[in-house]
Amino acid sequence: MENREIALDVKDLRISYRCLKSFSIKRSLLQLKKSKVEIFEAVRGVSFQVPKGEILGMVGKNGSGKSTMLRAIAGIFSPDSGTIDLHGHSVSLLSIGVGFQKSLSGRENILLSGMLLGFTEEQVREKMDEIIAFAGLGRFIDMPVKTYSSGMHSKLAFSITAVLESDIMLIDEVLSVGDVRFKRKSSRKMKELISNKDRTVVIVSHNSETLRKLCTSLLWLHDGQVRMVGKPDEVLEAYEEFMN
Amino acid sequence: MKFVNDLKKYWDYTKRSAKAELKSEVASSYLNWLWWILDPLLFMMVYTFIAQVVFSGREKFFPVFVFIGLTMWNFFNKIVIGSVKIVRNNSAIVSKVYVPKFILVIQKMLVNGFKFVMSFILMVIMMFFFRVPITWKILYMIPIVLILWILTFGISNLMLHFGVFVEDLRNVMTVLLKLTFYMSGIFYSIPKRVPAPYDEFLMRVNPIAFLLNSARGCMLYGEAPSVQMLLFWGVFGLVVSCVSIKILYKYENSYVKVI
Repeated sequence: MENREIALDVKDLRISYRCLKSFSIKRSLLQLKKSKVEIFEAVRGVSFQVPKGEILGMVGKNGSGKSTMLRAIAGIFSPDSGTIDLHGHSVSLLSIGVGFQKSLSGRENILLSGMLLGFTEEQVREKMDEIIAFAGLGRFIDMPVKTYSSGMHSKLAFSITAVLESDIMLIDEVLSVGDVRFKRKSSRKMKELISNKDRTVVIVSHNSETLRKLCTSLLWLHDGQVRMVGKPDEVLEAYEEFMN
Repeated sequence: MKFVNDLKKYWDYTKRSAKAELKSEVASSYLNWLWWILDPLLFMMVYTFIAQVVFSGREKFFPVFVFIGLTMWNFFNKIVIGSVKIVRNNSAIVSKVYVPKFILVIQKMLVNGFKFVMSFILMVIMMFFFRVPITWKILYMIPIVLILWILTFGISNLMLHFGVFVEDLRNVMTVLLKLTFYMSGIFYSIPKRVPAPYDEFLMRVNPIAFLLNSARGCMLYGEAPSVQMLLFWGVFGLVVSCVSIKILYKYENSYVKVI
């Protein structure tokens, strides 16, 4: 494992939500005394590396900083200190409900989301039929997204990121999307994506079964710090014992 | 510069997104595209009535005079006020994928720019209708519009940034923009109507008033604007834009933490 190419390199990552609360001019005029600045450190000094083609699972109780870290890796957050090195790989965050513009049709949204993920218009158009077929929304694909049910919403979101593949995929609790049939279809697609040797995947999930089945290694986050890294079985055993 | 690269990279997206927004505006109601034209036309009538009947103003080609003012003002006003909450309104996108935040402003500028062009075409038609003598000075419109766009971009970027952190910025800006509206002479002529020391003052400190007055001068009355002032506001706009881009790049990744 030592000589394998590293796809994702996170070093001493710290993310906090301190002093970024929005304020209102009215409130600061009315209350002369300063409100206390709340500091909340979501991620405190986490370092890890993921070799190319690995599937890293992340576990931890709610609020332990898993989603924050995924968002930081996707480039949406900036870390307060520490570095995230993607070694030039493309990255996409696969989570429930990718950002859609509600008044536009599903088709338009596929195009726009794809272009936001860094694909050209032609590339997205090439994959368009595949995405539409995978989402299986029928005639709803040409209706505004605001008319979609929440299930349809996440089906479309999943299809876009699943069909438009990137080198590193970050998956946030996505394995339970849609109805039974779509769930089966999506988990088959996931396995297909994951089994690609060149793809690096980071999964956040609370489902021990999926983690055990899919991951090559596991990272246990506790209160924003790494508690344990290792083989899925060992980490899960310790984690479950701790949670009970 | 990073800005140019990002602009190139996201240009296709911005264009598509603007086109999609315009299309959805038309799709949601068939009369909507008509409103792009009707809106300034109707407001022109309102202000023409108020200025000519109530305040007995006597500008030459008054309806076109108001129309030029409204077209330019609407462009500036809509984008600036829209930028205050722009990150919050796009939180679905911003919290899922990285976008340089000024792209959101440029997308808005394209949408409103399209309406601006529509309005401008109407303006030219009106000039023929009212038999406005057209001189070569109309070419001054090119730098005037360019400066208006640069200024709008810079100011909107700043609004975007502070709008994230200051909750009630929108209320403040609504009042400030209303003030600017009345101070820009949309439906009256500042040099003719405002008493002596103040008209000079307004024309000097309010770029919108200056740009409006220059636009009317070169389109309707064959007057050349002050090149010195044009240059000044052009440079000012560029400086504001550069500073605001710097600020956006520095802070844009923390916006998601606040909203």
